[in-house]
Amino acid sequence: MSDHLTLAAVDTSGAIREALDETASDSRSEFLKRAAVAGGTIVAGGVVIGGLPKLVSAAPSPTQDAAILNFALLLEYLEAEFYTRAVRSGALSGETLRFARVVGAHERTHVAFLKKALGSKARSKPTFDFKGTTDNQAKFQATAILLEDTGVAAYNGQGPNLTKKTLGAAAQIVSVEARHAAWIRDIVRKNPAPAAFDAAKTKRQIERAVAATGFITSS
Amino acid sequence: MNSEFTLAEVDRDGAIQEAIEEVSGDSRAGFLTKAAVLSGGLIGGGAVLGALASPAAAATKNDVAIANFALTLEYLEAEFYTEAVRMGALRGQTLRFAQVVGAHERAHVAALKKMLGRAAVRKPTFNFRGTTENAAKFEATAVLLEDTGVAAYKGQAGLIDSTAILNAALAIHTVEARHASWARRISGKSPAPAAFDKPKTKAQILAAVNGTKFIVSQPQMSAQGTPSFTG
Repeated sequence: MSDHLTLAAVDTSGAIREALDETASDSRSEFLKRAAVAGGTIVAGGVVIGGLPKLVSAAPSPTQDAAILNFALLLEYLEAEFYTRAVRSGALSGETLRFARVVGAHERTHVAFLKKALGSKARSKPTFDFKGTTDNQAKFQATAILLEDTGVAAYNGQGPNLTKKTLGAAAQIVSVEARHAAWIRDIVRKNPAPAAFDAAKTKRQIERAVAATGFITSS
Repeated sequence: MNSEFTLAEVDRDGAIQEAIEEVSGDSRAGFLTKAAVLSGGLIGGGAVLGALASPAAAATKNDVAIANFALTLEYLEAEFYTEAVRMGALRGQTLRFAQVVGAHERAHVAALKKMLGRAAVRKPTFNFRGTTENAAKFEATAVLLEDTGVAAYKGQAGLIDSTAILNAALAIHTVEARHASWARRISGKSPAPAAFDKPKTKAQILAAVNGTKFIVSQPQMSAQGTPSFTG
């Protein structure tokens, strides 16, 4: 096979390599069986959308739903606190201030919804240090774009892993995150909708993106 | 690297099969290459040949109906934006919006048509009743169409059988929400009016679309049935 694609060429998001890391102790047949549960989407040219986000997830179940909703709750806690502190800092003005107030209220509502859905299984709120991004309008704006775009990619990545009922609830939230993302992008004159398809990201990719901010000081 | 698997053994929930079926227009060599990479290089040639079906033949009837429903809405949006740009009544950020968003909707049409293959419905005929010729009417209509599109994809997401089609629907759904937010801001409306966006059923969406009277002739589409073949 002379034009064999390399793993690197296909694995543009590193998802396959992540899976390989996690299955290092598995036999090859076990890895391939789990690889078969991939939900990735191939479009023309062989480019993988989303890097096979389902690669290491099991079939949908209420237990898995709870794990995923707790993952979402972590992100919503982060966003809610970010907006709350930014409004309180007094550093924002004009439409950016209005954005932070409206969007903060939404994120707090999302937190309340997820906590209620999870009941006693809800994770606790982490502690945060936003490293000055809530005290400066330009840093706030850039961080809001990052957080909202990341939220969209996170929910889209987990969608196929959810039971249908929970997917319905998650879908009601993710489009609002996308509205947030477009809004703050437009405020700073960035393209509100940079691509025709919003990429999904794996849980590991989202965790790495969040860890890179350094905002969570204890979880 | 000496153990061999057939596609059927490896592809227990059909996910690889689905992914393969979305590759279209491939030469056999190109197709087998991609299939080999997906499986880690161990698929037997015989099993792969069996997967060279058209995308629609393997998709469920339910998914074909949903994808065609989405395709009809995307045809409408794409044509609306294309015509609005052509009419020349838009300026500044409204024009830029129409250009960027029109390109997205055309890409959505292309992707859905590729997924559906010969099962794709044909494009309806539209009359946008002056809404592409006046900036204020354009903006109001864009808000309506984008908000409706978000609600439509959301209403269908839980009904989709195939993971591959669900992934595509989710990837499009949030882009429509970005469009809606952007259009609303241009119109002076709140970009994100609520903490939760509500779904709409197919019947509700059809009622909204029929209320615009933009579709003047179309392939048969009802709330229950699948569209009839036109091609």
